Amino acid sequence: MSSVLDVVLSSAFLAAVLRVATPYLLAAMGGLVAERAGISNIALEGQMLSAACTGALVAGYSGSVAAGALAGVAVAVLLGLLLAALRLELGADAIIAGIGLNLLASGGTAFAVYTLLDDKGGTSGLRSGTLPAVTLPGIEDIPVVGDVLSGQNTVTWLAFLAAPFVAWLFYRTRFGFHLRAVGEMPDAAASVGIAVRRVQYAGLALSGALAGLAGVFLSMGYVSFFVRDMTAGRGFIALAAVFLGGLRPWGVFLAALGFGAAEALAVQLGTLDVPPQLVSTIPYALTLVALALYAWRRKRRGAAEVAPASL
Amino acid sequence: MRSYGPGAAVAVAGMLALAACGGSGSDDSGSASSGKTRIKLVVNGGLGDKSFFDSAYEGLKRAQSKLGYELKVVELGSDRTKWEPGFEDAAAADDYDILAAGTFDVTDYIGELAPQYPDKKFWVFDSAVDYTGKNGCSNKCENVYSVTFKQNEGGYLAGFLAEKLVAEEALKGAESLNKVGVIGGVKIPVIEDFIVGFKAGFKAAGGKNSDVLVQYVGGDKPFGDPAKGKEISTAMYGRGAALVWPVAGLSGLGTFESAAGAGRYTFGVDSDQYQTLTDSAQKDTVVTSILKNVGNALYQAAEDDKKDAVKYGAVESVGLSDDAVGYVDDDHFRELVPDGIRSDLQEAADQVKSGSVTVPSAF
Repeated sequence: MSSVLDVVLSSAFLAAVLRVATPYLLAAMGGLVAERAGISNIALEGQMLSAACTGALVAGYSGSVAAGALAGVAVAVLLGLLLAALRLELGADAIIAGIGLNLLASGGTAFAVYTLLDDKGGTSGLRSGTLPAVTLPGIEDIPVVGDVLSGQNTVTWLAFLAAPFVAWLFYRTRFGFHLRAVGEMPDAAASVGIAVRRVQYAGLALSGALAGLAGVFLSMGYVSFFVRDMTAGRGFIALAAVFLGGLRPWGVFLAALGFGAAEALAVQLGTLDVPPQLVSTIPYALTLVALALYAWRRKRRGAAEVAPASL
Repeated sequence: MRSYGPGAAVAVAGMLALAACGGSGSDDSGSASSGKTRIKLVVNGGLGDKSFFDSAYEGLKRAQSKLGYELKVVELGSDRTKWEPGFEDAAAADDYDILAAGTFDVTDYIGELAPQYPDKKFWVFDSAVDYTGKNGCSNKCENVYSVTFKQNEGGYLAGFLAEKLVAEEALKGAESLNKVGVIGGVKIPVIEDFIVGFKAGFKAAGGKNSDVLVQYVGGDKPFGDPAKGKEISTAMYGRGAALVWPVAGLSGLGTFESAAGAGRYTFGVDSDQYQTLTDSAQKDTVVTSILKNVGNALYQAAEDDKKDAVKYGAVESVGLSDDAVGYVDDDHFRELVPDGIRSDLQEAADQVKSGSVTVPSAF
């Protein structure tokens, strides 16, 4: 047991938590923005995957990681806008449309990579590089904190800034008020002159951008290549964090960080003598427990407290 | 959807190729009239894994070009729910003489389908159908040839080499470390077989089992999650592993990145991964690759089939002595591994081949 404690208290573990949590934090913030705008974004997974693929391909061919990252995020934004258009212009069910986009992303990325590189596995043959790590002068010298923070990718820093950004956006800006009003009750928002659709399009674009950043991190930060279906369900875990966090920025932040910590813990415990089946259930078991807690809390407070006006 | 992308490309390419033939007016059966035996490789997953399925495909492609077979590939994608109907469709189509498929997952499907198509032949690689006829296979699978691999023998050599390298402090930059790691995709018998062999080899060379860190990728895509593979590898290197051996398909690509960053070492698996990697810093970490030559075994079966020498209705297990399992001994290997260890490893391999050492198995 003491070895478990050693692991959890080590700076290597804390650094791993930040790394592992990065895609969850970004994608969950993306899911939160869409949810509060009144359109559930099930397509987080597909947006991440498309961004990861586009980022690696563009960076590999152009030689510029910045161009790759921008292109990746742009594709995810387009998918967000497409989801909004399907919902708003054609009246499609957002869930069904989201599933469709996920399938499109899975097949489309594999097809693109195969067409361009003649490789059915991924872009590992293409040298696309990674986004730079952030080095703050002086911080390396601080014990523990320095070890944890030094060498973390730019996107990891952005991921931790995403929650305060979304909180500021929601509660301190006109756009944020409009977005929440639109999500809560579109007719009422329209009656006071808010351009409901425009706000929803903007919300879904922002949602896509955040998910896209999460995807770009996978293929251009975590590792330096794209592999087909490499998101491996992370978008859905992020979606769970959105609801677990009670549809509030800091709640979602904690939930996503919790999932990241659980996965990092599973990785660290795996090298100890703990049955692997048990270890690999940790993130999922935690999800279930947390969702049950959330449901229980909601029931106690009454459904009026947090009423997501999804769909 | 995922498999239709590349599949569609293959289909289009195939149609173009047919069109280019000059329109003899023949359809699929045209190939049968040409007298060539038609092999259909049904992949429950996708090509491009740089190891297992790619090796199978390479072997059958060789059979196509050298032995005059016709080859068709169907990729079913990683969605398991599409595998059973996929195999049913593949078996029902009359566009093959031999249907080849691999991994433990396909044995139930082939066991069901083989009796329904008694005039077709089936090759199952890396696992065996149930020849007793208790589960499916009402004809005792008399038209099915199974070939399995003694990956425990490859694992044994990997473990043996790993312990020798750390014990003799032969790995530059990792001399003070005495731990090694193995990463499996999931805890299934085939993967366990690698690991059981590895531990046995590590012990045979004088190591302690407690110095072997073992972990599994697990999760949604155990063989396709390089980010998690990298995270696990980083944790292992952090716990003092001099060398990590990923046995986890594409997830293993994360290990090579992690090793390059940490200045540590790796072994490749199934295919020669020194050759398949492109980044020179990552290539340098690969001491050797433990080969599981699925392609050679299938090529061998294709050659035997020409002579009607394939043992249908039975399972064949191939290992070191059949060159179906082995390790890469190239310039890079010789650069990293001192001569003494090389000859020790050769000796260990000879002992396994001659049968004087029996490697424990997970089966």
